[in-house]
Amino acid sequence: MASELTLRRPMLRTTFRRTIRDQRRALVWWAIGLFAAGATYAPFYPSIKENAETLQQYMESMPEFLSDAFLGASRDFTSPAGYLNTELFNFFAPILLLLYAIGAGARAIAGEEERQTLDVLLATPTTRRRVVLEKFGAMAVGAALLCVVLWVSIPLTGPPFELTPSLWDLAAACLMSFLLAMAFGGVALAVGCATGRRGLAIGVTAGFAAAAYLVDLLTPAIESIDWLQYLSPLHYYLDAEPMMNGLGVGGSLVLAAIAVVGLAYALVAFERRDLAA
Amino acid sequence: MTVGDVIHVEHLTKSYGKQRGVVDLTFSVAPGEVFGYLGPNGAGKTTTIRTLIDVIRPTDGSATVLGLDSHRDSVQIHRRVGYLPGEFNLYEQMTGADYLAYLAQLRGGVDEPYAAELAERFDLDLGMKIKSLSHGNRQKVALLQAFMHRPELLVLDEPTQGLDPLMQQEFYRLIAEARSDGRTVFLSSHVMPEIDRVCDRVAIIREGRLVAVEDIGDLKAKEIRTLEVHFAEPVAADAFASLPGVRQAEAAGDEVRITVAGPMDAILKALARHEVVDLQSHEPSLEEIFLTFYGGDGDGE
Repeated sequence: MASELTLRRPMLRTTFRRTIRDQRRALVWWAIGLFAAGATYAPFYPSIKENAETLQQYMESMPEFLSDAFLGASRDFTSPAGYLNTELFNFFAPILLLLYAIGAGARAIAGEEERQTLDVLLATPTTRRRVVLEKFGAMAVGAALLCVVLWVSIPLTGPPFELTPSLWDLAAACLMSFLLAMAFGGVALAVGCATGRRGLAIGVTAGFAAAAYLVDLLTPAIESIDWLQYLSPLHYYLDAEPMMNGLGVGGSLVLAAIAVVGLAYALVAFERRDLAA
Repeated sequence: MTVGDVIHVEHLTKSYGKQRGVVDLTFSVAPGEVFGYLGPNGAGKTTTIRTLIDVIRPTDGSATVLGLDSHRDSVQIHRRVGYLPGEFNLYEQMTGADYLAYLAQLRGGVDEPYAAELAERFDLDLGMKIKSLSHGNRQKVALLQAFMHRPELLVLDEPTQGLDPLMQQEFYRLIAEARSDGRTVFLSSHVMPEIDRVCDRVAIIREGRLVAVEDIGDLKAKEIRTLEVHFAEPVAADAFASLPGVRQAEAAGDEVRITVAGPMDAILKALARHEVVDLQSHEPSLEEIFLTFYGGDGDGE
């Protein structure tokens, strides 16, 4: 009946909520993925620990940059903290979180623009600035959720296998993973806002992340250009090793700053630009 | 510019590198007017409209909407304007009602019973997911979001595309209601009859330039038609060429094609002196209007 139409939906009250609602199914799958990532490492821990000496010798025999890549700077991968640092936080967790954040950042504005849903949205009494801010907020909530899932996956699955790291250090590692995701998500958002092209934003940011990884991995071994590592955002994440050292405050601030600069650039670039028809 | 103009566009130019945008447009729309914006596809209609809504910005010149600057005051303008884009997509995963609810809440609430009434009039099921709606039904959802907050000004880019004839009639009724409520409508079209039917005034745009701004009455008085007359025996075209309003007359066998502007009286009386087997009248295409009526072939591009 005509009079029964209500145009009130709590989850559609703002663009922030709508964006979270849009990705609710995808987020469930991402959360399952992150949980599985954390849970998968636990059953292998006992055998790693048993063969610690052999593995350690083998790793140490490799060129330095390779053992850096596999072991991290601490060279410890047999304690619970070292194992998670090496296997999870230097590898699988950041890759998953970067995939999520780069996708969300690129999709935020450029995705809508390419799908031609933006004209109507921006013809409401909303500012472009507000749409970008709310999209950034929705990306932050998604990334934070995934990091919390990662955090709880270890105490829920590790104890039977004696994988029992400090939950504080684990939280610090998850927080730094979150900030890393937001840094690259911010870059993807900025490229998407500046160009309106989602694919380009994903490609450029993923390429940047890969280059940043290689720079951080390879340049420390070459004295004349070892300062280059400080240009790599990944350096501030990989070098901190919060599973062993607790939260790296400096590194965290650098990562947060990259996210904020990305957001600021996104706001300015999007404000000035003509939208694609 | 007259004080109180709902839309005022002054020396508006939009360039896109090599592509043509619009060049030096100047026109005004008065309160309560239904103003047609007529031109072939690619003439610059969408470019003009998207500038009014501030999704693109002028290269030169300015646009004023409801007395406010289209760029600086866009948020205030958007509160009072309903906009239907020429090309758009809706959020596929939402239902029609979800989509309208989202936009309604961004507007701080709308006239819900009116939205429901519109959905009923357009025979639209708002409970269906947008991904399963036909093109015509998506067009209706988009029309609803433009009308549901009862805006003072409606800016509609090709509003009837995809609507079946019955729904087009309903849309024309809606425009008539908007007019009688004193609201202003700016709508674009690439077909003359639609503009004829609903508009008070029309601006004609071609290749990015304004060709004319006319009252519909004046336009109709000058409107051009082509008559195809089939006689019982061959008739010389010369007999018609000199009649008032005739632009062109040519014979082929026992058929004569006559292009006429304005009243038909003289030509019909002249035809009646011969035995007529068949008579057909064709509305002109837009290109024919430009070529014959406004003389010349544009800027030669």
